[in-house]
Amino acid sequence: MTECLVKNNKKVLIKGNYAIAQAAIKAGCECYFGYPITPQSEIGEYMSGKMQELHRAYVSAESELAAINMVVGACSTGAKAMTSSSSCAVALMQEALSYATSDELPVVLVSVMRAGPGLGNIYPSQGDYNQATVGGGNGDYKLIVLSPSTVQECIDLTYKTFYLAHKYRNPAVLLADGLLGQMMEPVEFTDYPYPAIDHSDWALTGAKGRPARKIRSYAPLEGPQCEHVKNLFNKYKLLEENEVMYEEFDVEDADIVVTCFGSLARNVKSAIKTCRAKGLKVGFFRPITLFPFPNRRLAEIAGMTKKILVTEVNMGQMLRDVKLAVNGKVPVSFYGKPVGAWPNVDDIVEAIEKELN
Amino acid sequence: MSEKNFIIAGFGGQGVLLAGEVLANAFMLAGKNVTWYPCYGAEMRGGTVNCEIVMNDEPVSAVNKKEADFVIALNQASFNKFVSKIKKGGLMIVNSSLAKEIKTRSDINYLFAPITKLAENLGNIKMTNILALGLLAKASKLVSVDSLSHALDTVIPPHRKNLLPLNLKALQIGYEYDLQPV
Amino acid sequence: MATQVFDIPKSFKKDMKYTFCPGCDHGVAIRLVAEVLDELGLKEKAITATSIGCSVTLYDFLDIDAIEAPHGRALAEATGVKRARPDKFVFTYQGDGDFASIGLAESLHAALRGENLSAICINNTTYGMTGGQLGPTTLLGQVTTTSPTGRNVEYYGYPIKIAEHVALCDGCAYSARVSLDSIANIRKAKQAIKKAFEVQIQGLGFGFVEILSTCPTNWKMTPEQAHARVRNEMMPVFKPGVYKDVTVQE
Repeated sequence: MTECLVKNNKKVLIKGNYAIAQAAIKAGCECYFGYPITPQSEIGEYMSGKMQELHRAYVSAESELAAINMVVGACSTGAKAMTSSSSCAVALMQEALSYATSDELPVVLVSVMRAGPGLGNIYPSQGDYNQATVGGGNGDYKLIVLSPSTVQECIDLTYKTFYLAHKYRNPAVLLADGLLGQMMEPVEFTDYPYPAIDHSDWALTGAKGRPARKIRSYAPLEGPQCEHVKNLFNKYKLLEENEVMYEEFDVEDADIVVTCFGSLARNVKSAIKTCRAKGLKVGFFRPITLFPFPNRRLAEIAGMTKKILVTEVNMGQMLRDVKLAVNGKVPVSFYGKPVGAWPNVDDIVEAIEKELN
Repeated sequence: MSEKNFIIAGFGGQGVLLAGEVLANAFMLAGKNVTWYPCYGAEMRGGTVNCEIVMNDEPVSAVNKKEADFVIALNQASFNKFVSKIKKGGLMIVNSSLAKEIKTRSDINYLFAPITKLAENLGNIKMTNILALGLLAKASKLVSVDSLSHALDTVIPPHRKNLLPLNLKALQIGYEYDLQPV
Repeated sequence: MATQVFDIPKSFKKDMKYTFCPGCDHGVAIRLVAEVLDELGLKEKAITATSIGCSVTLYDFLDIDAIEAPHGRALAEATGVKRARPDKFVFTYQGDGDFASIGLAESLHAALRGENLSAICINNTTYGMTGGQLGPTTLLGQVTTTSPTGRNVEYYGYPIKIAEHVALCDGCAYSARVSLDSIANIRKAKQAIKKAFEVQIQGLGFGFVEILSTCPTNWKMTPEQAHARVRNEMMPVFKPGVYKDVTVQE
């Protein structure tokens, strides 16, 4: 592995996967449980050494099923715990994520997308937007989902993922992709900026001097189950009111606003600069929290612009959320491909020009 | 300065990714924004390997660009793969020890040098990658030997530090190689 | 001689209601667990990861902290709890389907890693809660709702001998199989549970007890008939005994 520590304006050149792992350490992650899968194996490799060095918990789990359930177990004691995985292996974790939402546990999952469906391949893709935001687990639930677009954001949003998971006691996903995981960029490691969350009123610590606590999702009666799920959705509403993050520029006068998420934003930004240089009025909008999705802002933007173009490296997954937010106010079109090299700047410029003609 | 991108390509074992990492570190140490991105074949050994380094004063935009400003091709397969991906007026540095000196395009510049041979003369064939960086520094004028030297010191792990002097020498030999772009 | 008072173990919940079928051994097994928790003074530091199946209701009987694991994942969750809080006493209470079918990987790997955990597996040769289907321990010839003419090798293969498998794991400190078919065997069972708990406290590794149990409802037997079946049909195949005990090796 390469981890460069020479300081230059406090910057180090580091791979996205290592950046995430180091940020998790700095965020105070007490337990890492994982099972290898490309393109995120560097995270587990780094954690295996570092966690032992720091005398924190590390297990090379026998499967992704075991790994995510170990995280659930650790989180039931209020610990900061995480796993990391990718696509077809994150699919194996859906059951536990559903349990953890119902149990209201602060599970942290780093999901570094590869191509699918099935085994697919290890080329980068954004095909797991739905997996993360809609989920494959049973029942009514939501995961908090954050989407970085640079290696620096891999760090900043890993911090935020831990914080939101613990603040809202809900599983949170850092949704990166193989491109980000493998790329190196100079970054700056700030200290973990968020306050500690007190879990002493619910965590399992042994029933000493208090009634025993049961963390369970089994609710045999209709009424309490109904109440429980409604409470979860009140929490999701709070998230939508308070935690939405997005990035935008040049939207006020735009004839068309291009939206995308994750590392594709880099190419889209370049394309928009190219378009602006040509005198085309193009704006940029990127949801950073995929849940809570920036519905309100997108609806406002739909009122300002004439058209919205969604670009993704999948066959149109975020497209659905954008359409719901825009609610028919302006036409929404799509440009993308399922896997492989991100559409390059020229291709995106061409797609934008096509929409404007 | 506008964004510049570099592709370094060769076969697995030629130190392609490491050379890229040294170059990326050199840019970082010089205060530039930079992104390094690897591309491997599916196989663990023996396939072609390349990485792209994008450098900019502004935040780096995209990797996986359609065209490159500079390509270092350390073998024939890499030459064949990337000769069409060079920007008009761009430069291709070719390891003529392992690739033919044939100019297939007239709108780009070529620099042929027997890089592997030079490394062998230096006493270690593994210095091929760093020698190539020396050539690139001279030809591109975008990165200094000084930055590259610091970068080498950064990238070479503590237990390999004994190899630093040889690497620095390789860098120097590459830089001082009589360029004469053709 | 001090008077021995028959009492409800302190680790039992005060308002506990008995919900198992008449003649089911879960009640006895859970009581033994509670007694051992009491005797070893573990109630206030115990955390259990429960499983899916009738065994899950352990958390309704015991006045201890509990997390409910998905089917088969009890030992993964217990691993997470123990690794996060090594000072706690952590155990699982699972059925044979949970431990040895859907959760076999988690079970054996917890034993192989030598997790300082204790696990109890109730073997009643069937999936009880779902209505008596064929499970990993169903005996050859046994009729279940999914082996209507009895378990045959051609379609179903063989039952698993859990305690022996666990004992083969190098990280296992204690593995025993016990039965609840008689007072004498119930006493032995309690000693085995105690041992499986003690090896965790001593940091020796994985402690395991397989408990041969009845399922009168799904076996369609009276409690007496069910215990006779344990004795006459199960014990000859699943032989009770201590399969591993690192504390007695010289």
